[in-house]
Amino acid sequence: MSAKRFLEKYWLPLLLLAAAAALPLLIAEFWIHVFNEILILGLFAVSFNLIFGYMGQLSFGHAAYYSIGAYTTGLLMVKAKWPLLLCLPVSMLTAGAAALILGFFCVRLRGIYFAILTMAFGQLVFFIIFQWYSFTGGDNGLQGIRPPPWLFSTNPYYYFTLAVVTLAMLVLRIITESPFGYTMRAIRDNTERTEFIGINVQKYMVINLVIAGMFAGLAGALWGPFNRSLAPDLTGWQHSGIPVFMAVLGGPHHFLGPMVGSVIYTFLNAFVTGFTEYWPLVSGLVIIWVVLLMPGGLFGVLQTSGRFRAKRETGEKEKAAKRAIYG
Amino acid sequence: MKTKNTILIALAVLLAGCLMGAPSAFAAEPYHLGVALGFTGTGTLYSKDQLEGIQLAVDEINAKGGFLGKHPIKIFQRDTQTKPDVGVREAKDLILRDKVRAIINDYSSAVAIAVKPICREYKTLHLPSISNSENITKVDFSPYTFQLVPNTYMQAKAAALGVAKMAKEKNWKEYVTLASDYEWGRSTQEETVKNLKAAAPDLVVKKEFWPRLGETQFTSFITSIMALKPDFVYPVLASKDNVAFTEQAKPYGFFEKIPYVGSMQSVTELITEAKTVPRGLVAISRAPFFAHLNVPMMAAFVKNYREKYDGKYPSDWAVMGYDAVYALKQGIEKAKDIDTDKVKDAMKGLTVDLTRGKLQFRPIDNQLRCSSYLGVVADDPKYPFPILKDVIEIKGIDSERPEAEILSARAAEKK
Amino acid sequence: MEFSFIFSQFLSGLTYGVILFLVASGLSLIFGVMNILNFAHATLWLIGAYFSYSFWHLLQDSHFALWVSIPLAALATGAVGWALEVLLIKRIYKRELHEQLLVTYAVALILGDLIKIVWGPTDRLIIRPPVIQQPIHILGAPLDSYFVFVILMGFAVAAGLWWFLTFTKYGHIVKAAVFSREMVGALGIPIPRIFTWVFTLGIFIAGLAGGIQSAIGSVTLGMDISIIIQAFCVVVIGGFGSLLGTLAGALIVGEVFSFAILFWTDGAMVLIFVITAVILIVRPWGLFGTPMRA
Repeated sequence: MSAKRFLEKYWLPLLLLAAAAALPLLIAEFWIHVFNEILILGLFAVSFNLIFGYMGQLSFGHAAYYSIGAYTTGLLMVKAKWPLLLCLPVSMLTAGAAALILGFFCVRLRGIYFAILTMAFGQLVFFIIFQWYSFTGGDNGLQGIRPPPWLFSTNPYYYFTLAVVTLAMLVLRIITESPFGYTMRAIRDNTERTEFIGINVQKYMVINLVIAGMFAGLAGALWGPFNRSLAPDLTGWQHSGIPVFMAVLGGPHHFLGPMVGSVIYTFLNAFVTGFTEYWPLVSGLVIIWVVLLMPGGLFGVLQTSGRFRAKRETGEKEKAAKRAIYG
Repeated sequence: MKTKNTILIALAVLLAGCLMGAPSAFAAEPYHLGVALGFTGTGTLYSKDQLEGIQLAVDEINAKGGFLGKHPIKIFQRDTQTKPDVGVREAKDLILRDKVRAIINDYSSAVAIAVKPICREYKTLHLPSISNSENITKVDFSPYTFQLVPNTYMQAKAAALGVAKMAKEKNWKEYVTLASDYEWGRSTQEETVKNLKAAAPDLVVKKEFWPRLGETQFTSFITSIMALKPDFVYPVLASKDNVAFTEQAKPYGFFEKIPYVGSMQSVTELITEAKTVPRGLVAISRAPFFAHLNVPMMAAFVKNYREKYDGKYPSDWAVMGYDAVYALKQGIEKAKDIDTDKVKDAMKGLTVDLTRGKLQFRPIDNQLRCSSYLGVVADDPKYPFPILKDVIEIKGIDSERPEAEILSARAAEKK
Repeated sequence: MEFSFIFSQFLSGLTYGVILFLVASGLSLIFGVMNILNFAHATLWLIGAYFSYSFWHLLQDSHFALWVSIPLAALATGAVGWALEVLLIKRIYKRELHEQLLVTYAVALILGDLIKIVWGPTDRLIIRPPVIQQPIHILGAPLDSYFVFVILMGFAVAAGLWWFLTFTKYGHIVKAAVFSREMVGALGIPIPRIFTWVFTLGIFIAGLAGGIQSAIGSVTLGMDISIIIQAFCVVVIGGFGSLLGTLAGALIVGEVFSFAILFWTDGAMVLIFVITAVILIVRPWGLFGTPMRA
């Protein structure tokens, strides 16, 4: 591809990356912390979107993998004094292994049952982390997680996060644009037909869940050293709701949607909590507004007009069925 | 000649004017104080109370010009939502954007523990005044964190000492523990059982019950305990759960049959449950105002608090918030400077005059050597709510963890 | 272990199960008929409890304060439910699953904060009338005398719903809609109106449950969060849309809680989740649900 074509196709991610890299030179230290958070949660949301936007299922327990990754890194660093760089891939392995075990059961279900089972598993992981307090520190959390000296202060850790997240996003992009990624879309759009053409749907779903789990684990692994401590509410179903919210806000049908959703959500959160204690009220109203008036999220709105129109992907079967019943 | 004199006089007047105007030209900077508490979530009431105590202290000090008479205090308030990651972000916000020099934080020990390293890294004072897990001060020590509340170990040991005494008097043999299943509940229960064993070796734990945190239905526990017929029950329940338990157990005639010894009844619970809390409970408290009315500072505090807040009586949290600000004031006065590093060095091992008396920050862990209070819930004609009577004050020095144990715990975490 | 002890544990479990049934029956009904998993259900239950407190507070001096407050709370909550359905829920029937879940979750967030704004963060306590201040004894086992009322109300609601579903025309329509919405629509029955009334009924029951709860311990913020997950488990175990299933699920969960504290005190919730997961894997439509729905 010529340089011109490359720029035309990828102008948006390149622009975002350049902006992200320039930030520490432009804005105050506090907002660098906020953007660090945005990147980590954005990766979490993008990994979730593999299951949701690309495969068409709603997982309400994705925080389980995020927190398994987080606690793996946290525990290795605090109790075994492992270096951070080594902990990251290990966190991906443990989160992926958990996704393999739990996913094996989840893929037998669809729709609301899939959602509830993922929620139940998420709660199970929460209780294990919460109750096994001699190992994980229970509700007091795990304290004393320190990044290595060269990553200790704000800007270095931010660039580190940016590098890891960018790399992860590249890998995920390759996956979503590969034949595997298109198989996922086929499963989303018409599961029956995909089975009829000979694809082992359940096996593919498990693989997708494992990949999604691994990258959620990576995001979690980045969080512990950033925050300097971990707490079990990283696993709760309310935390599982965050990537859902971000994906819906930014747009689940665009690869960058959840990351953009993360920018909006985190900013909104940091901004609103600065002057009111009623964040749940505000976030509830925002959710309703987005769902009712901006289906497809921000990218969805942009896609109905302008340059993004060609990229739109949706699942039509469900909508047609509903129309038949409700008119 | 005349011109020269005129110029000299003019210069002198100018110089004098500059010198006189200098204080206002170099107007001393205000002292930014952060208050990051759980204003939403289970700790809302305690957090709001503490803010009131803090506000009163700040108003009093600002009436005299502020810290050192020249640094008016400005409060920056944030809601941590009782969540550690939110607490961390709010702490960063307070430090980086609002430039606070000290943060009073939090209702939840988990949040305080998460905020501690942030304050340490950004060289900001950290003053926990509600939460009291021992892990705030025992391990991962921060020289910037000063704990104003009797910690979980101190409260457990104090309760154990008081209960052991009662057990000897009443010839109790077996007991049951009822503890909320989370870190505070577990560690407090563990320390209490250990200390009880040391103080009264004949006492036996018949069974341990662990309702989950936030349990709303205690029926099964109530019936199980009553069936076991222990000599007493030692509860370590989170305050909301304690209220739920006492309400649900009353219709079973629980409190007439089995002594319920050692629950925490802060002034907040005594006021909000005034009509329904069973009288005769032996309870432990953290900073009840009525135990120190003979201290002039406490008497003045209660009077001013009631004037400012429509006749309301100050809860333990208001007392400790007020104490936190005054402890900070005295640290600043010793350092003669508001620079945080100088203040933290001044506060190490400092003895301060507080509403609860003259108390010292223990050098090894910056824990205020404050007392725990054991008493019997009973009505008092002076107050529209029951208070604790026959209060036994167990001093900080008698209930703190021995230094050797703290040193070995810290050595263990280094390995 | 003596019989009276086991019986008293059984009674506690029964009571807790009845409370869960009251909370979950509306949830099950709404999901069964309209396929909406109402995340806000427990928050509406909590609103019912707060309403009940407020009515009781107004009528405090009367002997009948509590007994009148409970049905009043149910009506008030039902009205809130009706308004909610007409203004908001109606718009999400045609939407995808995740949108419905997000909206009901958002409603839970909003209502939760509204409760805090209206009633404040202080715990609210109802002082029981003298008739239920002392325990009664059944076969040697002590039981909170109020729980007799709770158990009776629970079975009354169950019986009332059963009668409604089995013997009334509207009940038949509702049962048919659980089985197949398409057919009911095809018969020319106005689905939207059915939905409004079913939703209102479900929330009315939640309000009633909240009113009943308000005399057990105090009414505090956050009670909804602890109970919503348990209500989901009940409905999954018993089967969506099945009255018998919800009752069975609730009693199972109640008894598991009650007896688990004897041998694995912190494990009760874990056990419930394991049971829920097993049911979802092995028999997703629950013990008494309709296989066609899965």
